Amino acid sequence: MKDLQSVDSLLLKELKLCCAKESSFLPRDSGLRILEAAPAENHNAVSAKCRDANVEELWGLTSFFGYSAQTFVQAVNMLDRFLTIMKVQPKHLPCIGVCCLHMAAKMVEEEHVLSPTRELIRISHSKFTVSDLGRMEKIISEKLGSPEPQAVTALTFLHLYRSAFEALTAGREELPSIGTLEAQLKACTCRLVFSKAKPSVLALSLLAQELNALQSTTAMKAVQQLQKHLKISEGELLHWREQVGRCMAQYYSGECTKPDNKKLVWIVSRRTAQNLQANRFCVPGLPTIPEGNWDESESEDSCEDMSCEEDSLCGSPGSDGGGAYFPSTFRSTCRE
Amino acid sequence: MGVKTKDLSSFPPFLRPSLPPLLSPIPSYPQHPTPPLETQLVHVTREEHLSLSLSQRHRDDHGDDQAAAVQPLLPDHRLLRAVGGEGGWLPPAVYAPRPPEEVPQLLPVPLSEFPDAPVAELHDLFCKKLQQCCVLFDFLDCVADLKGKEIKRAALNELVESVATSRGVLIEPLYPEAIKMISVNIFRTLPPSENPEFDPEEDEPTLEASWPHLQLVYEFFLRFLESPDFQPSMAKRYVDQKFVLQTILHRVYGKLLGLRAYIRKQINNIFLRFIYETEHFNGVAELLEILGSIINGFALPLKSEHKQFLVRVLIPLHTLAYCVVQFMEKDATVTEYIIRGLLKYWPKTCTQKEVMFLGEIEEILDVIEPSQFIRVQEPLFKQIAACISSPHFQVAERALYFWNNEYILSLIEENCQVILPLVFSTLYRVSKEHWNQTIVSLIYNVLKTFMEMNSKLFDDLTASYKGDEAVSGEGGAVARPGGAPGAPPPDGG
Repeated sequence: MKDLQSVDSLLLKELKLCCAKESSFLPRDSGLRILEAAPAENHNAVSAKCRDANVEELWGLTSFFGYSAQTFVQAVNMLDRFLTIMKVQPKHLPCIGVCCLHMAAKMVEEEHVLSPTRELIRISHSKFTVSDLGRMEKIISEKLGSPEPQAVTALTFLHLYRSAFEALTAGREELPSIGTLEAQLKACTCRLVFSKAKPSVLALSLLAQELNALQSTTAMKAVQQLQKHLKISEGELLHWREQVGRCMAQYYSGECTKPDNKKLVWIVSRRTAQNLQANRFCVPGLPTIPEGNWDESESEDSCEDMSCEEDSLCGSPGSDGGGAYFPSTFRSTCRE
Repeated sequence: MGVKTKDLSSFPPFLRPSLPPLLSPIPSYPQHPTPPLETQLVHVTREEHLSLSLSQRHRDDHGDDQAAAVQPLLPDHRLLRAVGGEGGWLPPAVYAPRPPEEVPQLLPVPLSEFPDAPVAELHDLFCKKLQQCCVLFDFLDCVADLKGKEIKRAALNELVESVATSRGVLIEPLYPEAIKMISVNIFRTLPPSENPEFDPEEDEPTLEASWPHLQLVYEFFLRFLESPDFQPSMAKRYVDQKFVLQTILHRVYGKLLGLRAYIRKQINNIFLRFIYETEHFNGVAELLEILGSIINGFALPLKSEHKQFLVRVLIPLHTLAYCVVQFMEKDATVTEYIIRGLLKYWPKTCTQKEVMFLGEIEEILDVIEPSQFIRVQEPLFKQIAACISSPHFQVAERALYFWNNEYILSLIEENCQVILPLVFSTLYRVSKEHWNQTIVSLIYNVLKTFMEMNSKLFDDLTASYKGDEAVSGEGGAVARPGGAPGAPPPDGG
């Protein structure tokens, strides 16, 4: 324990406490297996893919409404726990998701940050109503046990770990910021597989992967120390580090996937809609007139027949068939 | 990406507000394309058919047993087929009018000498002559219907004289007849609108061959318009002048090669006057349509004269979508000029114009080549960001709607590293500040789209934005480089 002396003892106690609590907030393992096993395009049961898509949606809303990462993580934790104890039809998933988000926001966020439920529903283009949401809230809190204390999640551990690391490395190392770590955790949260991991392990794996990139021996030693302290097995840590590694590789690749625009609803005002229709120019019914190969200016004689009638068509004085292409009066104007 | 077409039949015939004399610059025309040819002609024939006496109709429908007794001016079915355009030909109800001997000669008589009754007779005669001139003749065959052709020519001459010299000839009932006669004669010389292939070989004889009549029809038209009795308000009810004059000009340009440079120069002048002299101008849109088909026929490589035209004339105009797109499809390198030009002339005070510009930009982006897009993306999206934050909701809506365009989306996606930082902070800020809920909803769509495109970049920008907000919230004057991709997020979150 000599190495951990630099770390505040309260912090260490907190870590131990959280480790003890964390299992009570884990989604049921059997439920997770059912989710993973369910075929993707099923109308009767929620699949992993379906859940992941919904979680991404929740992240979008979190981001848009300015909610914190903690809200997001809490919401997903609730969602996963609910999905693993209740058999849910996919069509209800959006409602459950938004409900969890709202409940989490009420727990975490300050009053003035909270968005009203109808706004949540409107922005997310959801089909359910405010009263649907209210009823769902009751069901969820009932099933998960209410009042719902804030769950111990990987985010909790991330904060604790980081503080510990700062102490352990004594400010000699540049540690990844909490913002970066939160973003990475968010990326992991969007995949169901990581819900199987214990939060303490997941958080450490994440940190370890990130620190590995820094190639600092001090940092890696710190990881080992924490691992020992919390009695995390080597095998478990390696397993999850690998999973995290794969996830991060994809996240950092910045690969652009063509967004599925069909899911989005584009509502515009009536005036703009009219404008859009009206201004869709159409190809005129006039056939193409090919440019001639011979010099068209040669045969200007037929101009004379027209010129007497067409005087007013000429914009500039003295213009006839053979003048400068751009009359000088306009050339100067153009330069302005 | 091609230009979009529209189902022509969904457009109603649009009537012009006013009909200026022929000698002034091309008058105002509606924006809608013309109704297809057949409907025009069917309209004509059905009306004429109904005006026939029963016996004549019977003769037309059931063959002509008694035809020998009269010398009808029979329509040329081959011509009708050419005009109909879809293989079938129109019913042979372009009628045989009464025999020429029965129609008394029109005399150019000054109105003042004849009160009331004779005037009515005059009008009636006029009307009949007009109807008579609706019959079309085959000039390809030089010997066919010589007598009929001569009668029509004489009738046309009389009509011209009458309109030119008499007063009080043009009364309201005559307007539709006159317009009809002009339309029937002029339209028949045009290729059917379904025919995208302009075949000079096929069409040429038709126009020039029937010139003896056509020339008189044009002259009649001119006199008709010039007549002191001519009332634009009455004419507007019966005329779709856009089609008439636009197609005349189109045909003239197509046929009379020697006039082309001249016509292009005139169009130039008109446009330049429009840009630099007047707020409103009539006919620009229609001229542009013609110009579109001209540009489409440009030989490659583009002559510098044409490129100059583009830069100095087309770009300042704000109704140029089709022509510009044609230019781009001919020579992609002009794209940069076009877009920079549009950005340079971006309207600052007029919302409608701004919305229109955005529409133009979208049309252009729809056909742009990716290599060209890259050259203009930065200034372009800076402007788009400015539009999104416009207090005018229509402008913001129109700008945000770009993200609903699949092709534009794919361009953005390929270059999202550059584009997202340009618009990100605007999007977030406006989503918090804007009063209009539709805008807020659209912004969510756009942000969500970006999130799916590149979540890492998105997260980086979010963190950076929040960092900036925190700093400015504390009243700190620290300037941070915001929004740069890959910038390390601030410590402490």
